[in-house]
Amino acid sequence: MALCEEENSASTLSFMELAIQQANDALDNLEVPIGCVFVLDGKVISTGRNRTTETRNATRHAEMEAIDDLLKNWQDNGLSAMEIAGKFSKCDLYVTCEPCIMCASALSILGIRSVFYGCGNDKFGGCGSILSLHSQGKGFECTGGIMASEAVSLLRRFYEQGNPNAPKPHRPLQISK
Amino acid sequence: MTTMKKWEIIHIPVKPQISIMDPPCVDVVAAVIEPKLANTLIRRLNQTSPLENLTHVKRVRKISVEEAPQASFTTYANSGINSHLSSLMLSNIDGITGFSEEDSQTVFSFMKLALKLTNSGPQLENAAVIVDPSVRKIISSASDQTHSWHSPIDTSSIETRCIKHPAVVTSYQPDANGAAVVSDENKRLDTDVSCLYPWKWMEHQQNTGKTCYFHPLRHAALVAIELAAARDKHLYPGSGNMLDHSFQVNSLTSSIDSPAKKQKLDFSKDKNDSDLKACAHDSCFETERPYLCTGFDIYLVWEPCTMCAMALVHQRIRRIFYAFPNPNFGALGSVQRLQGEKSLNHHYAVFRVLLPEDVLDHAPS
Repeated sequence: MALCEEENSASTLSFMELAIQQANDALDNLEVPIGCVFVLDGKVISTGRNRTTETRNATRHAEMEAIDDLLKNWQDNGLSAMEIAGKFSKCDLYVTCEPCIMCASALSILGIRSVFYGCGNDKFGGCGSILSLHSQGKGFECTGGIMASEAVSLLRRFYEQGNPNAPKPHRPLQISK
Repeated sequence: MTTMKKWEIIHIPVKPQISIMDPPCVDVVAAVIEPKLANTLIRRLNQTSPLENLTHVKRVRKISVEEAPQASFTTYANSGINSHLSSLMLSNIDGITGFSEEDSQTVFSFMKLALKLTNSGPQLENAAVIVDPSVRKIISSASDQTHSWHSPIDTSSIETRCIKHPAVVTSYQPDANGAAVVSDENKRLDTDVSCLYPWKWMEHQQNTGKTCYFHPLRHAALVAIELAAARDKHLYPGSGNMLDHSFQVNSLTSSIDSPAKKQKLDFSKDKNDSDLKACAHDSCFETERPYLCTGFDIYLVWEPCTMCAMALVHQRIRRIFYAFPNPNFGALGSVQRLQGEKSLNHHYAVFRVLLPEDVLDHAPS
């Protein structure tokens, strides 16, 4: 995985900027601040951010939100499964944090072309940190470290204010730096 | 598949079990050394060439070579610590050390229910039942919805049935029930178990009447989680934030004007105000509410794929029971073994339920 921030193209950074905006929106709504955008032919076709607190469903990650929108829109426009598979195979995902094992599997099932992510996810990461689902079976290209510091600082802000959705025996309010 | 006469529950451990007949092999180095040097050598070996998950140990046999007493020295690996750690991780979950007759009967009855949910036969579809074992109550149930996604979610159909011990489903009548409930217009193929063939969706034929969508990710476990979450919201409609009280206590220590607090109040206004107040005053109501699916079990006909297995980690499921292993993408022992990934923040116990022959015989194929 390439980790050279200065080599990232302007468009990569601008899409990641949009993903960060989504993460900010999550933070404003007391959700874990992770956001994403799906890009097809240089255009953003779907956005998503974490909604686990609101839905009380811990699987409602940013990627899953954006995927649901895409599937619905494409089918509303009369696209067949084969056409949708074709679209996914040309889609890129920009997400502020490395997709978890669940999301990485989902992205592989959908047959996405590539994933660009911000910070790594050393607890659940499915794109190299814990499992490497992007390089197994129907994998996808994966590039990490894009605007990682911005992604981390959002997460840090969230955990400093305390995760209201976490169970009781719980990380301290202030994270020592 | 299996030639069992009786139901049986098998614990699927966090590490593959080592067979006594066919133990794993490691390379061994033997050398002739000065006996006094053995301890130093072992220490140096563990420092300079450490083994992953293993340690060098000393096994010395004294032999007399010509005039001087010498020792043949062997270094090999000890994996004892590893299995100890694995068992510690889950030691507080019921069932690992065995099930009582009563608990076994409960497990079997819920598994029967899961089998019954597979409308087109247990071999052709996956189904999931989330259960609160403390009161033997069904929290949610679902079968694969990769072909029939009704959007948005219909929360009115959430079930909160109670199952009476030993079983509500005493008889297994797949034909009568199966035929009546099959709702989809597509002819199902043998390869429709979504966790077994996750890429099958690409061949899906469009529905003629656009009453529902298809969704490649709506595997039974994910749908059951979604329904359990919707039920939670329905039963405890108050604040969106779990353990609101402890959060507020924590907030007191931070600045009063913290943005977190302001946002929290704004967020609460979106919800039904009276419900919120009712909940805030009735504190025991809130304490009854479990965090996600903490303490709940899930019964699955097929061993879940990696996506579903990780979703069950996220939702904090306590125990997983499945009937058939998934040789293609099973993430709980067959291909991956997620229950053994130590880095994850939650670990469930996994069991396979072996079905007696007559249950399989009655299953439609």
